[in-house]
Amino acid sequence: MTQSLISVQDLQVVRKGRPICSVGALDIAPGDRLIVQGANGSGKTTLLRVLAGLERDYHGQCELGAREIRRVYVHQSPCMLRGTVLDNVTMGLRGNGHSRHDLRAHAGRLVEQGGLTSLLDTPARQLSGGEQRRVAIARALAAAPELLLLDEPFADLDADGGNAVCCLLASRPEMAVVIAAPGDTPLEKHTRIYRLVRSA
Amino acid sequence: MAFFLEGLTDAVQALLRLDPQVYEAAWRSVWVSSLALLLAGSVGVPVGIALARMSGPRARLLVIAIRASMALPTVFIGILCYGLFSRRGPLGPFDLLYTPWAIVIGELLLALPILISLTHGAIAALDPRVAETLATLGVSRWQRCCTYVSEARRGIVVAVLSAYARCVTELGIAIIVGGNIKGRTRTLATATAMETGMGEFGRGLAMGLLLLLTALAISFAVGYLSREERT
Repeated sequence: MTQSLISVQDLQVVRKGRPICSVGALDIAPGDRLIVQGANGSGKTTLLRVLAGLERDYHGQCELGAREIRRVYVHQSPCMLRGTVLDNVTMGLRGNGHSRHDLRAHAGRLVEQGGLTSLLDTPARQLSGGEQRRVAIARALAAAPELLLLDEPFADLDADGGNAVCCLLASRPEMAVVIAAPGDTPLEKHTRIYRLVRSA
Repeated sequence: MAFFLEGLTDAVQALLRLDPQVYEAAWRSVWVSSLALLLAGSVGVPVGIALARMSGPRARLLVIAIRASMALPTVFIGILCYGLFSRRGPLGPFDLLYTPWAIVIGELLLALPILISLTHGAIAALDPRVAETLATLGVSRWQRCCTYVSEARRGIVVAVLSAYARCVTELGIAIIVGGNIKGRTRTLATATAMETGMGEFGRGLAMGLLLLLTALAISFAVGYLSREERT
């Protein structure tokens, strides 16, 4: 049996006396593709933030497997940092002894898979919402996560943009991916679906 | 009015004939304040960033105390430094009183709370997604710090130049620990006060005009460095 990367048991997040996210049991293993579905306010973003380690105020258990894993969370509305697409995509790689040339080559490959090749030297904040989303996913993948958490990644993408994201994710079969989505996504096949219900 | 116009004419003449007393004091004001700012900035900006990333009642109390010390009168800092540097003071053996170094240290104390407080404000006002994105990407602490500075550069530029403007125009510290010694510790502000007191209204006005020009240059620098990015 594959060792879980992360296990959730009886998780409940309460804000201002009101439960905003409740999860019974959830295990995520390497290579998993999990879609967390639910209506608005059902706690999808909160669950992803708990899994990412960004939210620590909760009841219940959210435990890592045998070791610390690299978890990268991409916001529902991704945050582009100052600088070009190249600067953004290589953000998680700098300071690791890579040369500027290596960083550019690595970022170039990811950006090409994301269908944004011509935009490598464009200021990231000048891009459209859909392009920024793809840059954010490429930036997350550059950090080589074992668990990638994407909050509504298909929200403002056209068909080509959606395919580009699917292509990016398919390039890392060993990586676990958890996607929050209110409804259907282009990734429905080969995925598990976890339905969240709005807490009473 | 004639007195004022006569003084203004004298002032312009003093500036145009490059009066050494005026420009020497101006140069001292610039290097003393620049050095004080460099030292204060190398401590104040990182402390401001660190404070902005801290939470809890202690951090809040510290921020309140630092904000309050932004309003410290320069004469108070001057007296404090006088106590430290005078012969009987704890730093007396270093013989710093009535040297430009004493003014540098006094202005450093003046600039520090301004830099910490305004940097703290600039970083705290950043979109929280910036910190979360950096944390989740696993970037180093140093890279995180550089990114915060880059993202909040407009606020930090305002912090640095506000502190510089306060240092270069201050009078209390320079008078008390500098002593306004000609050729040694005289700055634009102390020279302006002294010349006017001695009835040299024209020369005093010339120095006042240089102070005004310095303040204007700083204001333009703030406007240029903190302008909206088009890219």
